Amino acid sequence: MSHEIQEQNDDLITINMGPHHPSTHGVLRLVIQTDGEMVKTCKPEIGYLHRSIEKIGENLEWYQFVPYTDRVDYVCSMNANLAYCLGVEALLNTKPETAVEIPLRADCIRVLFAELNRISSHLVGVGAAAMDMGAYTPFLHGITQREFINDIFEKTCGARLTYNYICIGGVMRDLHQGAEAEIRAFLDQLEPAMHSFNALITTNTIFRGRYAGVAPISREKAIAYGMVGPNLRASGVDWDLRRDRPYGIYPKLKFAVPVGGAYGGSKGVLGDCYDRYIVRLLEIVESIKICRQVLDMMPPPAEQADDPVGGYRVDVTKKLRTPPKGGIYTRVENPRGETGYYLVSDGSKMPYRLKIRTGSFTSLSIFETLVPGLMVSDVVALIGSLDIVLPEVDR
Amino acid sequence: MKNDELFGLLQVLYPDVSSTVAETGEIQWQVPTGIFLEVARTLKDDPRFAFDSLMCLSGLDLSKYPTAVKGEFVGELLACVYHLHSFEHGHEVCVSVTVPKDETASIPSVEPIWLVAGYFEREILDLYGIAFPGNHDPRRLMMPEDWIGHPLRKDYQYPSNYSTWELKREGQNFTSGPYA
Amino acid sequence: MNFGPVQQSIAASLASWGVPHSGSELAALLILLLIPFGVAFSIAGVAQYFERKVSAVVSRRFGPSTAGGEGILRLVVSCAFFFLPAATRARLEKTVANLPGVKQVLFVVSYLGLGQIVADGLKMFLKEDIVPRAADRFLFRGATYVLLLASFVALVAMPISQNFYLSDFSVAALYVSAVTSVGVVGLLMAGWGSNNKYSLLGGVRAVAQIVSYEIPIALTIATVAMWSGTLSLHGMIAAQYHPGVLSFLGWNLFQSPFFLILSVVYYTAGLAECNRTPFDFSESEQELIGGVGTEYSGLRWGLIFIAEYTDMILVGGIFASLFLGGYQSPIGEQWIVALPPVWEALVHGAIFCAKFLASIGVMMWLRWTLPRFRIDQVMRMAWVRLIPLSLICLFLLAASMLWFGHDGQVAQVIHGRFVSSLVVRPEGWQTASVWGATILVVAVLVVLAKKYGDPKPMPEDVRKALVGGEG
Repeated sequence: MSHEIQEQNDDLITINMGPHHPSTHGVLRLVIQTDGEMVKTCKPEIGYLHRSIEKIGENLEWYQFVPYTDRVDYVCSMNANLAYCLGVEALLNTKPETAVEIPLRADCIRVLFAELNRISSHLVGVGAAAMDMGAYTPFLHGITQREFINDIFEKTCGARLTYNYICIGGVMRDLHQGAEAEIRAFLDQLEPAMHSFNALITTNTIFRGRYAGVAPISREKAIAYGMVGPNLRASGVDWDLRRDRPYGIYPKLKFAVPVGGAYGGSKGVLGDCYDRYIVRLLEIVESIKICRQVLDMMPPPAEQADDPVGGYRVDVTKKLRTPPKGGIYTRVENPRGETGYYLVSDGSKMPYRLKIRTGSFTSLSIFETLVPGLMVSDVVALIGSLDIVLPEVDR
Repeated sequence: MKNDELFGLLQVLYPDVSSTVAETGEIQWQVPTGIFLEVARTLKDDPRFAFDSLMCLSGLDLSKYPTAVKGEFVGELLACVYHLHSFEHGHEVCVSVTVPKDETASIPSVEPIWLVAGYFEREILDLYGIAFPGNHDPRRLMMPEDWIGHPLRKDYQYPSNYSTWELKREGQNFTSGPYA
Repeated sequence: MNFGPVQQSIAASLASWGVPHSGSELAALLILLLIPFGVAFSIAGVAQYFERKVSAVVSRRFGPSTAGGEGILRLVVSCAFFFLPAATRARLEKTVANLPGVKQVLFVVSYLGLGQIVADGLKMFLKEDIVPRAADRFLFRGATYVLLLASFVALVAMPISQNFYLSDFSVAALYVSAVTSVGVVGLLMAGWGSNNKYSLLGGVRAVAQIVSYEIPIALTIATVAMWSGTLSLHGMIAAQYHPGVLSFLGWNLFQSPFFLILSVVYYTAGLAECNRTPFDFSESEQELIGGVGTEYSGLRWGLIFIAEYTDMILVGGIFASLFLGGYQSPIGEQWIVALPPVWEALVHGAIFCAKFLASIGVMMWLRWTLPRFRIDQVMRMAWVRLIPLSLICLFLLAASMLWFGHDGQVAQVIHGRFVSSLVVRPEGWQTASVWGATILVVAVLVVLAKKYGDPKPMPEDVRKALVGGEG
């Protein structure tokens, strides 16, 4: 398939920041018209990673779809699993006959792993943002920390990237022996590691000069364009689903919600790239706090798997054969924003419609209006700061 | 404000809207296509509603959705379901617009009202075939521009080839499940 | 090309071993020529190896540690005994590997990743040489040669030692600056000839950057030339001679605070000339994929790479000559100059190599630590910051020289085989007062900057959350 874009003006050249590009974080094609440095128009082209996951979901049973949710956003697989499972459980809970009571320990494990995955996803996000600016080292320092998280996950569920661990009714298996001590040790050494990471890159004058004041998104624009998650908070909107529409054991946890505040010094503007970057770093700090609280309140494992306090999973296979009929929309706070699942059930064992609303999709929709006027280097900075992953966009 | 209070306020302004409750407890406001644009504008601008955020816009193919009578389906209809949220008041609501499933399927675009709808509508145009007059860039989003068919419809026929690529092989059945 | 006494003494040794006299001079010349050629062709592998290792140290990894000894062993055996069938060679390799001591050597080679040198060098030779069909063949191919030319011709002026050097001419510093400018043409040829918008953008950016940063370099060279009274690099080094044990006191870096500032200016401008981070946006992977080198593969890319690293050697060498006393040793230069020619060449050559290797090491360290500037920030740095700064230093140094000239001694300095031009040697108190005044002014500026600097610093709680208590 050939997409020839005619040159409308002889002074402009059309560049493809094409599907193969080191800094588009996936297969994204940006057709940019520029006069050499300043961008005049930008049209994103997506669909390179479209795997028709929603159509596949209509042909699988409810619990069979969980591995596919891993691939919707493979950087934060646990959160993606959690979004779908919470959606299905909310659907089942609308009728008392099919209601599901998740054991407390399973809930704690879910939140713990979701927050650990939030840390590792943000490490990838800020590391890749720094790497796009030419600082190769902070990315590797972040990856070192992420390897520890991957090791913990691997010991528990066997996988390093797409975990398929959180399932409808709880988690697939209990934590491995010594997991809690390992996680505590990891969190203890993560804090000084993040301090040195920030001393290396975040406070660097060159880096701030590249990020501060670049592509600010005002509060109204952010809400109008459906930005969610850290991108929305960086524009000054104090909205976090974990606090404002809580799920799981989040009502019992104490944590702050970082909001952008023009942290970029004299050139900083509210909602610029630097704010989005800082909000993610501050969220890592908050996630460490949450993980520690969860570890403190986790009940010990019980004999029975479906024990209401110490168990790790309840059996929902019978209930999933006859779920209530109708639709339901649930959303959770993923590292990339809100992931909403609109599930429509026709009472049978397969979903009738499974709509996945992801944060990166709407972050990409702001490109066409935000990019004109920036320089080509700033486009790279913008993509990095928005933390877009293409599997979320294309599904 | 609770959902039925909000619905009461809306019905005063637009008597043609109706509300349905599903078994799951989801309340959907059914809005006819003709008045949908004004209703959407009211929902955004009226300070009692103040729905400034379109959370999610999904397409739905109702042709295989069962009704209360066993064995009967709703009919050859497509629907668009809008989930709205207000940052100011905190309430959420679900609005649904239904159109017949043929070439004339079209719903006025709400992109001038909620800018995020641009990409959502392009996706529905691509995968369901509902036109959105008023969208600034009505092209397919996910599928290639010269793709034939709308994949997420329930009666979608998988093509056997795309340009020079073979997509089906003899004896291989790509579809499974009850809607094959 | 005159290698002077070194060539004579090697020729004499060869003659004493029975080589006929007419051939011994030529033989000596050929032996000595191996050195620059050897350096030139080993740059590719060795430079890449050091780049990888420095990157590994900075990112807290091991770096290349698998390109191993076994591969090198197999390579050596296969090449040396290529006429044997494969099975015999395999058995021979096994026998060699079992010899005493070989396994230990291979382990060290593997652990240090020294096999990477061979691997990188071979890789460039073995890759397919792709010339894009729509590329302008003359420009595309010629670009690599022009770039190499610009870098290698300038290498001729490097002052390696007293008795072994490639040339000594009276305008060497200006010559280097002028010849490296030819590289601009090569970049434009590569950018345009690749028929690729990314290469074009990269080439245009690189040209703008190199042309802008040549001015601070030229001003720095002019300042040092003004102080040393000559443009010849050997003459500048001779002017930095200080007899006695602490010969580093003669280095230009310590003669005047303006040289300290200018050394930073020169090093920064040199980084920009070499297209190294933080000034490497013309080849930034993340935006332009490969800059001018996007379409080049195999040995052609290797040649561009060699040109870039030779530029780094040039910058390091000139930096050492201008500010660090060139090949002079920091202690006891007086006695090293008096050594017999071959020894003197070896010691001085080693010191010179150490100095430019250190500067290259710092360049690599900076590359892996700092992010890169944007094009307009690079231009601003050159035109608004570096050029005025170097001009100010030039004028202030001239003023201080006028002041010294009335009271200081004016004399020639004799440094081994070279004699400097007339140089002003200030009295001790004159140097001290200039240093004191400059330090005072800089301190006042720093205090003012801290007070009126950033009107909107980061909130204290955010800062503490990010970088911890110490800040």
